[in-house]
This record gives sequence, C-alpha cells and structure tokens, in this order.
Amino acid sequence: MKKTAMIPPLVALLASLALAQKEVPLPKDLPAYGAEKPLQTPAVKSATLDNGLTVWLVSKPGLPKVAVSIAVRGGFAADPADRPGISELLAKTIDQGTRTRTAKQIAQDLQAAGGDLSASPNKDSMEISTSILSPKADTALGVLADIVQNASFPESEVSLAKTNLADSLEQREAEPQFLASRARDKILFKDHPYHVTAATKESVAAATPADLRDIFTQRFRPDQAVLVAVGDFENEKMMDAVKKAFGSWKAPSKPALGPTPNPPAGVEHAVYIVPRPGSVQTTIELAAFGPKRGDPDFESAEVANAVCGGTFSSRLVSNIREDKGYTYSPYAFIRSLRVTGVLVTHADVRNEVTGASFNEMQYELNRLTTTSPTDEELLKAQRYLVGSEAVRLQDRASLAGLLTTLWVSGLQPEEIGRHGQKITSTTIADVNAAARKYFPAHQAAIIAVGEDKVVREEFAPFGLPVRTVP
Amino acid sequence: MTYPACIRPWLSLLIVALVPAFAGAQQWKAPTSMKKLSNGLTVVVSEDHSAPTFGLCISYGIGFRLEPEGRTGFAHLFEHMMFEGTPNAPKGVLDRVIEGGGGNNNGDTRYDHTEYIETAPLSALDPVLWLEADRLKTLDFSVKNLENQRKVVEEEVRVNVMNRPYGLFFGIDLPGKAYDTYPNAHNFYGDFRDLDAARIEDVQKFYEQYYAPNNAVLAVVGDVQPDEIFAKAEKYFAAIPARTVPPRPKVDEPAQTAERRASETDKLAKVPALAVGYRMPPRHSPDALTGAVTGELLHNGQASRLYQALVKDKQVALSVDGGVNWPLGTPFEFNGPTLMTSFIVYPPKVTEEQLLAALDASIRDLIDKGPSQQDVDRVVTKMRSDWYANLENPIDRASVLSHAVLFDGTFDAVYQIPEDLTKVTPAQVRAFAGKYLVPTNRTVINRVPSKEGDAGKQTGAGQ
Repeated sequence: MKKTAMIPPLVALLASLALAQKEVPLPKDLPAYGAEKPLQTPAVKSATLDNGLTVWLVSKPGLPKVAVSIAVRGGFAADPADRPGISELLAKTIDQGTRTRTAKQIAQDLQAAGGDLSASPNKDSMEISTSILSPKADTALGVLADIVQNASFPESEVSLAKTNLADSLEQREAEPQFLASRARDKILFKDHPYHVTAATKESVAAATPADLRDIFTQRFRPDQAVLVAVGDFENEKMMDAVKKAFGSWKAPSKPALGPTPNPPAGVEHAVYIVPRPGSVQTTIELAAFGPKRGDPDFESAEVANAVCGGTFSSRLVSNIREDKGYTYSPYAFIRSLRVTGVLVTHADVRNEVTGASFNEMQYELNRLTTTSPTDEELLKAQRYLVGSEAVRLQDRASLAGLLTTLWVSGLQPEEIGRHGQKITSTTIADVNAAARKYFPAHQAAIIAVGEDKVVREEFAPFGLPVRTVP
Repeated sequence: MTYPACIRPWLSLLIVALVPAFAGAQQWKAPTSMKKLSNGLTVVVSEDHSAPTFGLCISYGIGFRLEPEGRTGFAHLFEHMMFEGTPNAPKGVLDRVIEGGGGNNNGDTRYDHTEYIETAPLSALDPVLWLEADRLKTLDFSVKNLENQRKVVEEEVRVNVMNRPYGLFFGIDLPGKAYDTYPNAHNFYGDFRDLDAARIEDVQKFYEQYYAPNNAVLAVVGDVQPDEIFAKAEKYFAAIPARTVPPRPKVDEPAQTAERRASETDKLAKVPALAVGYRMPPRHSPDALTGAVTGELLHNGQASRLYQALVKDKQVALSVDGGVNWPLGTPFEFNGPTLMTSFIVYPPKVTEEQLLAALDASIRDLIDKGPSQQDVDRVVTKMRSDWYANLENPIDRASVLSHAVLFDGTFDAVYQIPEDLTKVTPAQVRAFAGKYLVPTNRTVINRVPSKEGDAGKQTGAGQ
C-alpha cells in the first residue's frame, strides 16, 4: 500500500472548536485527538488487455471476499430518443440468458460463488457488479464474462421483464424521492440527454429484444469497458484469471459511442410542483448545476457543501432538524456526471412547515455565499471528507464502485489520493469562491413533491413563479 | 479471556496445475479477545490492521420488546435522546467531535438491543471512547431537547411509514397480528399519542433502569491491540458503577393454533402486496439454524425458490423479499420470538388467493421433495459470503460481535456460523418446512391500494 499523509493537521482543532463556538464549550476533560497515522490510498495494479479492456486490481488479503465491478460506457444519456430509459430494461434483462445459460442457471451459478448480480444503469454508463467468496472467484468471472459477451435477451424473458418493469414503474409513481429525482433531471436538463432518469411506460411497451441486442452490442465492448476487482487475491493470479475469462471478448469494428453534449448553462428559479395526493410530507429539493469531479473547484465545492448541509453537524441539519425539528433526515450532495455536476439540497418535512423549511434551506445556501465559514467549520469539513472517505474505501465493494466511477469520468486511480490532498489544501477563500459560484439559492430550481393545495399555499408568500414539471 | 486465532485463508499455493486459481480455506477468523471490567462492562476487541481506522459499537440489553406499555416507540425515542448531550458534553459536541475526527456515528434500536456506533481514523479513538463513557454516566435530561426529538422522530415515522407506500406493514402490522402479547405485538415505531405522552421523567427512569455498564457490551475493531483497548476501557469506563437492571421478563408467546388473516388498504401504494409471517423456533433450538437456511433458500436473490416460482414460472409476483428476522436483522441476531417473513408485491391482475395458492405450492414442493444437496450447498455458500460481508468493515464487525456477546456471553458463534451452516442437510430443511411452514403457524396480511374517491382512507401501519 502506498502511504500518503492526507488528513489535515490537527493542530489546535480542539482549541479552535472551543474558540469558534463559545456557547458550546468543549468538555475540559475530553482527550485530544491522537497522533495521526498516515492514511493509505489504494495500490491499484492497472493493465490494458489486447482487446482494449481496462483492468484495475486491488489486492486486499484477509477476509475471503472479492468485489468485482464491470462498467461500460453508455447509459441513460445514450438511449435512443424513441426509447428513453431503455437502459433500465437492459439492466433487468442482461442476466436473463446467454447462449449457454438460462436466467436461472446464471442466478444459481453466481449464488454458488456466494454472490448475486447487481446491474445498475447510470447516466453515462452501466455497471454490473457482484461480491463473492474468494475461493470461488473463477466461477464468478466465468459467469460475468459469459454475460458481457453472450447475453441473448430471450423473447420470453424480455416479455416478462417488460410486464414487471411496467408494474414497478407504476409502483414508483407513489414514491416521493423517485418523483423528486425524476422531476429534478427533467427541469435541469430539459432536452439534454441527461434528462432521462428512468424508463417510461411507452418506452417499455415499445422495446423489443432486437432493440436490446442492438444497444447491448453497441455498448458492451472491451475497448469501452473497465473491470475492477478488489479483495482477497494475489494480483498476478487475478490478472491471469481475468485474461483467461475475458481475453476472447472482441470489440466490434463499428465506432464507439460519441461524446455527450454540453449541458444547459442554468435553470429558472421557480417552484416546480409535483402533485402527490394524500402526502403527509412535502419533499423539497433545491437543485442547481455544480462542478464535476476533476474540475479545479470540485473539492472547494465539496467542502462548502459539507459546511452547509452535507454532514450531520452542518448548518442546515443543526437548523432544521436539531433546532426546529422540521425533518428527520435532511441532506445535501454534489453528484458528479461525465460532463457536469449537480448540487442538491433535500428535506422531507411535514406539510405545515413546508414554507418555513424552504425558507431555512434558502437562507442556509445564501448565508454560505455571503459569510465565510469559521476556521473550525473548514477544518471539520476537511477532516470529515478525508477521514470518512478513508473509512469508506476499506470496504471492497465501495472501493470497486468508486474506481469504476472514476474510469467512467475519464479519471485515473491516482485521483483518489489527489482528491484527498486537494481537500486538505482548500482555503477559506476557495470555499467562498465556490459558494458564490454554485450556492446562491436563486440559481436553483425548487422541486416540491406533495399535496398540491398545501404546496401552493405554503409557497405563495415567496412570490416565486410556479411551474409544472415538463 | 483471550481467544487468539488468525487463520490465513490460503491453502498451499504451490500446487497450481490441477486446482482452481482461488482455492482457499473455508473458514476465516479475525484475532478477537474479550474482557469483563469489574463494573460488568464487557469489552471485545478484534484486530484489523489493513487501515489506520477503527469501528466501535456499544450495545445495550434493551430494545423495543421491553419498552413500557402506553409508551410504544419509547426505546427508539430514547435512543435519539442519547445524542442530545450531557451536562459535560452539551448537545452538538458529540457530532462535532466525531465528524471533526473524520468519522461517522449513528444509533439503531431493535427488538432486543439498542446500539451506538462510530467509525473514524484511529486518531479519534480516545475522544470517542470518552464521549461514549460520558453518556453512560448521565444525560442532559432536557425538556426542550425531548420536544425537539419527539418532532424529529415523528418526521422519521412519517418518512418511513405514513408517507411511504406499504408503510413497513410487513414489519409492524405483521408481528402485531401474529403475536398476542404486548412485547412482541406492539408498534415499535410508536403511536403518536404514546410518543406525545412521553415525559422527561420517563427518559430518566428508562436510562436509570437499562443504561448500566453491566447491561452493555463495548466492541472495538480496527488497527488496535487488545491490551491497549482494555486499558483505555478501564480508564474511561471503570469508574461508572454497576446498577441493578430489571430481570428480563418472559417474552414467550402462547402457541398459535390457527391461521390469521387480515386486509388493509393503502392510499399511497399503486399495486397490491402480501405479507406472510411464519413463527420461528427459538434461536437456540436445534431447528434454528435450519430455519435460517430455509428462509434464505426461499428468499435470497434471483436464485431463490420463491423468486423462481412466483416471479418467473407462475408470474404472479413482481418482487419477493424476506427471511428469518427480516427486515430488522440477520437470522442470527435476535433474542425472543421472531418470524420468517415474506413481503411480496404483486400485479393488480392477480388475486390474493392466486398468489397464496402459488406460495403454498412452492412450500408444498419443499415439504414433499425437499431441496437437493446442490440447492443447499449453493444457498449456504451465499449465506457464508453474506455473513463475511457483515464482518468486513470494522463498524459492522463491532456491531455483530457486540450483539453476540450481549445475547450469549461469547462471540464464538460469530466465527462458527459459516462452518455450522455447512452442516445443515436437505433432510433437515425438508423436515423443518413440514413442521413450521404450515398455515396454522402463519399470519397473512393483504394490503391493496385504496379505491378512487376513497383517497383519505388508510388502515394499518401509521394510524
């Protein structure tokens, strides 16, 4: 393992905590943080096979588990215009048969290796992953290699998947968080291909096995794919096993998918209502464009978000949960896509405090753009982001997932260490600049999922334009 | 007591010609030790030197099964009050110190325990231990904070129950119907009138009754040595006096003799769902492990029998979830009556009776023919893999170890479960199904979307 000292210096954090928050002094007996041990960034063994497949391996001996994740370029944003969201059907059917295995055999063979398959469509990619017992890694690699080369989309399986997906689309119409995220992407991205979040009734009804085979052939090619494995193996043996299983995967001569177009520049500051009869809460989101991973101010914006609403001890959570009790679990995040980022602040609140909660959410975003975080807030956010990432990346599947995401964004494994160092070197001036650029509430669309009458009445005092979701 | 053991999971790698590349030993253990302090606090330490971090869990022997009558939801509301500060470390200090230490914290209330968990880089270990000890000495019994957390908990119930399709009816209403006594049958998230009735005196009394070092297990996992942690535990916790904890009452249920059925309507769900719960044998009975395997054979993933039969072959269901002690824990972590629960979402064109007939046929097939050896091997491999996944991250391993010691006084089972699972036979599964998976031992709740014009009506969970 490579050792890199990443966590920001502790010097005087406790002292500065005490100074910054005189009303809540730290206990006098509380021990200081201990000496820092250098945190580690994963040592990634990287190779490109003759067929163009990128392979990233991280050996983590001990617990007999291996996480494997394969990503190919092309997701919702690459779906044909007349088949929006077909990536979702592709994910549901990709493991439903190959030339030599039935759907049941695939499920059973993976279970016999201690795993099951998760196939997730994203905007820019599709990821298929599993977590297995290390002695059974050969079996699992064999099944995965069979799927990515030979998925056959049998008529009967596609037909069943279409019926069930149509019913679960219906079921999802009841879930406020789904309704909010679908509305968010339609509002932000309009005609840009990122507006697609899920399949639609129409696209599912129209889809055929031939459509799925076409899209599969277009996207599943080794020169547009990465395989990441993290776990209990020796790199050399795992590399041989990957070559053996995936070496025969051939790239077609056709050109790969083209680039994703540039996103819109901004969004109207208006209230977009998603009516949900019977709702006892309003789901409120403020959504705006933000930086993406790799942009020079991505880390500054992450630190700003951690101060504002991205951690439990952040301003927003302290305000609307711990002080006012409006909500159980408010949160905020920056979602990094290949060509842009999205900044979201979210809370589910009881109907009668809808307006009051929005007022505070707006206030906290704006406050960040007009006042500097304290030294304590900066240091706490930096240490939180660096420390909690180190803790999270101990998990094999989390590390495999992050590495595939980096590859999809065109970044290298070294990005993990660089990211930590950039967080650590972020200054208050950097946070101020990122806050002014991305966080003003007037740059955000407001999505409100709830009882129509309640939402209209609660938002009326703010005098904002009210829109329906396109 | 010290239990040294670290078995590298590689067998000889010298012979490569005829064996698969990844042949390895079947069992894995992390070096783990245990010590009881003089005040009764049990401390468990497990090493993981792969990164300079730690995970910590302190579990208390009180869950919602034993919360007082008229105070449904109180154990969970109380858990929230543990984050509201003490006279020494007022509200906000805990989260600031842990997040400022690069870590995360949380708490969970379950039937038989309440746990408080943290994970962070190693440098935060001493302040975190201090903070855990501090909130075991006393709390800030503040009326204002109770009012605040009552509101937060009510929003939690809204977001997870009242504003969500199906409203966890398979986890709240199903035991409510399946059991006859208050400890096992009541709504653990709490009726709002009970949450509203909770007083600060209740908080203080509950704390004094159950939050004692002799009713707790502290587990620390990570880049640490046992002696170092035992010394730190001594330093921070040893001065907290042991207290008399109420003896655990009997929570056994009168036997079930007939099938129980109920119907509910749901104003948010768009398609119907069925919840089925079979009463399971006690965790220490000889049948328990077989029950766990049977539960996974029926429910674990796309290879499971119910998925294959109901979703694929007969196409009478959209999704199937479930298992023993699902959805509030693994089949190995509980300490009282529990169910094998199935939660099945099904298409509106299918009737409840059609779905139930298909479910019965699957279970009948298991009782008549039993699973094959291959079927059992496969699901046992998956269960071992899932169990090891629970032991991967320090915070999760700390949690699993603390529950085992809390319920059984030893963590042996944590490392023994993967091996014990391999001993379950197809004949045992078949016999188990014949004995327990019978209609007279089950409860069924059907939940259907409320009809148009009926929009305000909702029965069951969240009322």
